[in-house]
Amino acid sequence: MKQEVLKHFDVPWLPLTALVLFVVCFAAYTYWTYRKANRPHFESVSRIPLEDPSIKTNDLQGKIS
Amino acid sequence: MSASLDGKPRNGRLESFTYDDGIVKLFVIATLIWGVVALFLGVTIAFQMADWHVNLGLPWTTFGRLRPLHTNAAIFAFCGNAIFAGIYYSHQRLLKARLFSDTLSKIHFWGWQLIIVSAALTLPFGITTGKEYAELEWPIDIAITLIWVVFAVNFFGTIIRRRERHIYVAIWFYIATILTVAVLHIVNSLEIPVTLTKSYSLYAGVQDALVQWWYGHNAVAFFLTTPFLGLMYYFVPKAANRPVYSYRLSIIHFWSLVFIYIWAGPHHLLYTTLPEWAQTLGMVFSVMLWMPSWGGMINGLMTLRGVWDKVRTEPSLRFMAAALTFYGMSTFEGPLLSIKSVNAIAHFTDWIPGHVHSGTIGWNYMLIAGILFFLVPKLWNTELYSKKLAHQQFWFVTIGLVLYIISMWVAGITQSMMWRAMDDAGNLIYPNFVETVIKITPMYWIRAIGGTLVLTSFIMMMYNFWKTIKNGKKEAPVVYEAYALDSSSIEHDASAHRKLEGWPMIFSVLSLIAILVGSAIEIIPSLMADKYVVKIDAIKPYTALELYGRDVYIKEGCYLCHSQTVRPMAHEAVRYGKVSNAAEFVYDHPFQWGSKRTGPDLARVGGKYPNMWHYKHFFDPREVTAGSLMPQYRWLFDSKIDYKTLPKKLEVMRKLGVPYSQEEIDNSVADARAQAKMIAEDLAQSGVPMKIAEMDVVALIAYIQRIGVDYGSIPEEE
Repeated sequence: MKQEVLKHFDVPWLPLTALVLFVVCFAAYTYWTYRKANRPHFESVSRIPLEDPSIKTNDLQGKIS
Repeated sequence: MSASLDGKPRNGRLESFTYDDGIVKLFVIATLIWGVVALFLGVTIAFQMADWHVNLGLPWTTFGRLRPLHTNAAIFAFCGNAIFAGIYYSHQRLLKARLFSDTLSKIHFWGWQLIIVSAALTLPFGITTGKEYAELEWPIDIAITLIWVVFAVNFFGTIIRRRERHIYVAIWFYIATILTVAVLHIVNSLEIPVTLTKSYSLYAGVQDALVQWWYGHNAVAFFLTTPFLGLMYYFVPKAANRPVYSYRLSIIHFWSLVFIYIWAGPHHLLYTTLPEWAQTLGMVFSVMLWMPSWGGMINGLMTLRGVWDKVRTEPSLRFMAAALTFYGMSTFEGPLLSIKSVNAIAHFTDWIPGHVHSGTIGWNYMLIAGILFFLVPKLWNTELYSKKLAHQQFWFVTIGLVLYIISMWVAGITQSMMWRAMDDAGNLIYPNFVETVIKITPMYWIRAIGGTLVLTSFIMMMYNFWKTIKNGKKEAPVVYEAYALDSSSIEHDASAHRKLEGWPMIFSVLSLIAILVGSAIEIIPSLMADKYVVKIDAIKPYTALELYGRDVYIKEGCYLCHSQTVRPMAHEAVRYGKVSNAAEFVYDHPFQWGSKRTGPDLARVGGKYPNMWHYKHFFDPREVTAGSLMPQYRWLFDSKIDYKTLPKKLEVMRKLGVPYSQEEIDNSVADARAQAKMIAEDLAQSGVPMKIAEMDVVALIAYIQRIGVDYGSIPEEE
């Protein structure tokens, strides 16, 4: 039913704009992501979950937040 | 001194801080409690579908009231609490900062539990909006909005106070979740209150359907998918102690999901007046939607490379691997089901709940279990009580789920084939709907058994965690040190996107724009519905009694088993009657098209049977339909029509655009009494006492007898 209703919406510019926008954005972020120069950065960033901050064993001296 | 992301040494100011793990513990406990409640409700309604006696003959234990409670408990209580537990744990660690405010965290926790309890206290009593997955009434909707804002402030406040410049990809998924869920919830919940416990949707008919399923589709996307993907990108590397396989793929995964998922994929292009080339491009992109989903799955599974031996021994990794596999399966099946020819077979059948549960149990439950097996021993400073029990749990849930999915595939495809089976003369081979139900009832038993195994597995996990937590050791909170986020952490030669990843607010705004662009594709046509839906004079508003009866229909959750839309297919037109038209729903606040046909479609039921047939049917469906699975609705014969609410109901409807005159509103009580008396007099000829005119069942009969009558009365040639 929803599809049957959508058939009657005579606004081709709307999905077309979104489609073009998506295709352009997709191409842009894919190009940027797979640029060779960005590789070392991504490798270091991917390690963030594994990098725990150092544990301070003595009593608190600085401000705790 | 430590190194920043670009490898340069850091010389900034060291700060000490602790994590708030107390709030994570609370959300973990809530996840376990609501999880078992949601699964118990699921198993209950599964048995109700196999045997109607399990409805127990009580209003608050009947399928139509428990089913919304099950879905709300599973999505918002079980998955919701798990999301908050996982986000609050990982967010602090990824940003090296304690949560923004302990007070906001507590308000968030207790506020969310209060919302869940409110749902549990209202839905079984029939207090519902009648919109799937958005059934909660307006005061609870407002509470959800407020608590969501508290969560957002706490979340973004933590980002502002972070000590890690780069916003890791998991947090991107969390940001998209918070922003999108807020937009979805607010837009779909716009309604005008009638009383404290009753409201009518701002939208009607087609418009309401478009908004509701934009919400419904994206509630799955942004409540059950994106937050869990964010959790996956943190917890899988953490549990495997390996970085994610491809960070690049995770970026593609994120932006593709944010852009396309909310748009529901370009399958919408197929039904518009777009040129052929654009439709083809749309289809290509629809197929490409598989890529980001599978990219995410592959990314998660490949992160486990080198630790597959641990998948066999570590419960957390085993559940995560299974979750990713089911994620891949259900994200393959989803786009497949949106293909028009496949959808024609699967829609309204049990294939859809089968698909939904491969996602919610296979992906959500399994990932939650994996995360909990990682978290619980860490949070309570102890070892897991029993790995053996965890592995047994894994097999219980896996076998239970496989039974569920396969039985629903068989039931869905079998029933759909029976619905559409026609002989050479164009007659239905199975004209009696109940024949198709009786045929698949064994599959309902298998589903119920599968569900019981899933419930059992969850209880095993609860026992395992209870024993684990009992062995927990109380320790003082660990104090950590990290460099403050100052100028020493700025990468001066970073590229544009890298800088963007360090600007969370701008990043959030861009994500929001992407989401809103996608939403516009669905929302703009909805807002223009008036322009494209041609009104038909023959379609009149419901009478006061019919409107009241419609509210009874919504209260009892009839829409959960009966659709009200005849699709343009030969077998549907032969079985039900005239194909539905958008114009016939213009006064339906909310729409009641439904999404499942456990019983037949009701779009043309008005006038099909005498009043006495419906009277008997509500008293005991098997009196008129042998083999029916429908529960008895005997309380409708004792509960009185609340006539005094009628003027207010009509007045609110008039505010929403339904053309009731002041005279109709003023005379609504008298008109309703007169119509009820007419129906009671008709029933009295078969010996029913006249006092039935005061009871809800008469209002419901009045509504049922009106459905589809106006449009159905227009001759075909018009």
